[in-house]
Amino acid sequence: MFFAQLKNELWKLFGKKRTYIGFGAFVLVQTVMLLLFKYTHWQTQFERLLAGNGYLASEYISALTVAVVMLLPQVALLTPLYVTLVGGDLVAKEAEDGTLRMILSRPISRLRLLQVKWLAGIIFAAVLTLALGAIALGFARLYFPWRGLFIFIPTPAGTTFGVFPPHDGLVRYVFSHMFMAVNAVAMMSVAFMFSCFNMKPAAATILALSYLFVNSVMQMIPFFEPYQNWFITHHFDGWHLIFRSPTPWGQLFQSEIILLAISATAFVIGAAAFQVRDIKS
Amino acid sequence: MIELRNVVKKFAGRTAVDDLSFTVTRGEIFGLLGHNGAGKSTAIGMMLGQVWPTSGEVKVCGHDVSADRRAALKPVGAIFETPVFYDYLSGFRNLEILSTYTAPTSRARIHEVIDWVGLTGREQSKVRTYSHGMRSRLALAQALLPRPELLILDEPSDGLDPEGIHEMRQTILRLQHELGLTIFFSSHLLNEVEQLCTRIAVLQQGKKVFEGNVADVKAASDMVALKTSDFPGATRLLREHGLITATEQEKFITLAEGRSTAEIIQTLVAAGIAVDGIWRHEQTVEDFYLNLIKPPAAKN
Repeated sequence: MFFAQLKNELWKLFGKKRTYIGFGAFVLVQTVMLLLFKYTHWQTQFERLLAGNGYLASEYISALTVAVVMLLPQVALLTPLYVTLVGGDLVAKEAEDGTLRMILSRPISRLRLLQVKWLAGIIFAAVLTLALGAIALGFARLYFPWRGLFIFIPTPAGTTFGVFPPHDGLVRYVFSHMFMAVNAVAMMSVAFMFSCFNMKPAAATILALSYLFVNSVMQMIPFFEPYQNWFITHHFDGWHLIFRSPTPWGQLFQSEIILLAISATAFVIGAAAFQVRDIKS
Repeated sequence: MIELRNVVKKFAGRTAVDDLSFTVTRGEIFGLLGHNGAGKSTAIGMMLGQVWPTSGEVKVCGHDVSADRRAALKPVGAIFETPVFYDYLSGFRNLEILSTYTAPTSRARIHEVIDWVGLTGREQSKVRTYSHGMRSRLALAQALLPRPELLILDEPSDGLDPEGIHEMRQTILRLQHELGLTIFFSSHLLNEVEQLCTRIAVLQQGKKVFEGNVADVKAASDMVALKTSDFPGATRLLREHGLITATEQEKFITLAEGRSTAEIIQTLVAAGIAVDGIWRHEQTVEDFYLNLIKPPAAKN
């Protein structure tokens, strides 16, 4: 029954047009980024940066490099927005619409219901991230050759700079998306937690986004530098740390475990709140 | 089938249900009446394990809902006012989804239920294209899927047109006759309650103010209809003889204790007042209900 219930949760989730807004927006922004890179001075700046560091630009202005460039708005803005939108909807929207009352007139435990909903949310977050990584690479390949990967990402915590041969670059690109998927799951889980409380779906999404935003701002304040590990956004850096040489595997695994623990904690808090609340029309 | 014992539910200090107790036995159609906010939906929510009681015990099909909700709700189907579904999916897909929250259900069973409620041919259409009546039938279908023994209906006729209300009433009777279901429902439509229920309970501000058989309610009236050419003269005479205590609407009289209609006829005929008709007035559930919830000042 668990898998039948999960399948149905996925039917409900992927049957809604709203679910595809994220996919559509991502593809649109990726295309804009691709065209900007192709037809503006952006590409020239990249070539200069490579040449200044002693690399041949023609070897690294490639599909992989452009695909990573296309990811930047996705990481910074779109992923948090769309995964929290879906996470915030998972329980609160059903409560608002009244379908939750219909479900809970049946002999399914509240915990089981939340388990299948959370798992459906995890699948959505992972599919969204991985599918968009594949689409970005596919689009970039239409305009750029298959060559090495160049990455340059300056962050307050340090700059990620790397050049990799095509195969090594692709492997890191795939790993990067796996870490991004974990980030997306953590963001979705926070929104899901709020969604389990008695509130509107929009409120759950806004609260989750606020939580992420406050973390992000505090992380950048020098006073909080010794407390970096306490901010969820600090642990979202895995997606570009994988491109550093040598790769800081210890830091990466620590961050991924913390994100998974945050996701599980968010689920437990949400489940506890949902268990004790009254479901009324 | 349903047993509520001293159930109390408080929301943030406000008492929604206050010391409510009643029992619904197998095979009966039990109606819960009350004004908006009287606590009907809260009581139903507690029966379905959606609202947790502050104190007291709620048992459905012999199981405590708070302790063993799954066992309690296994043989239960429920319908709520204004049925809502996943509008962007077909009726059939909605039934498939809802059935997995109870037990594995075959496609044949889903088709059987769709046929029973009369939705055959429209089951693959998206629910957003359904009329209110069709949604009500789909709601009934989802409630019947797990082959319930007990059906809990919260304002099932809410928002339906007169034709839809009639259809719903016939369906409820059919459910009891053909499937032998026990039916518990709340409604504002007193006429519907009168035609369907064997027993009723009335809630007022969360408290039960009445529980009893509909037949007893109808027979409980102490009013007698009197048809005569001189109603004022007749009632004056009857009062002088101490045979009646009150009159109403130039049509009804209330007999004094221990007096009979035969004595009324005898007295009027002896005084030369023709009696065209006299019969015991059978009160409607509506009369009874309105009288029951009337503020004490208005009753006097």
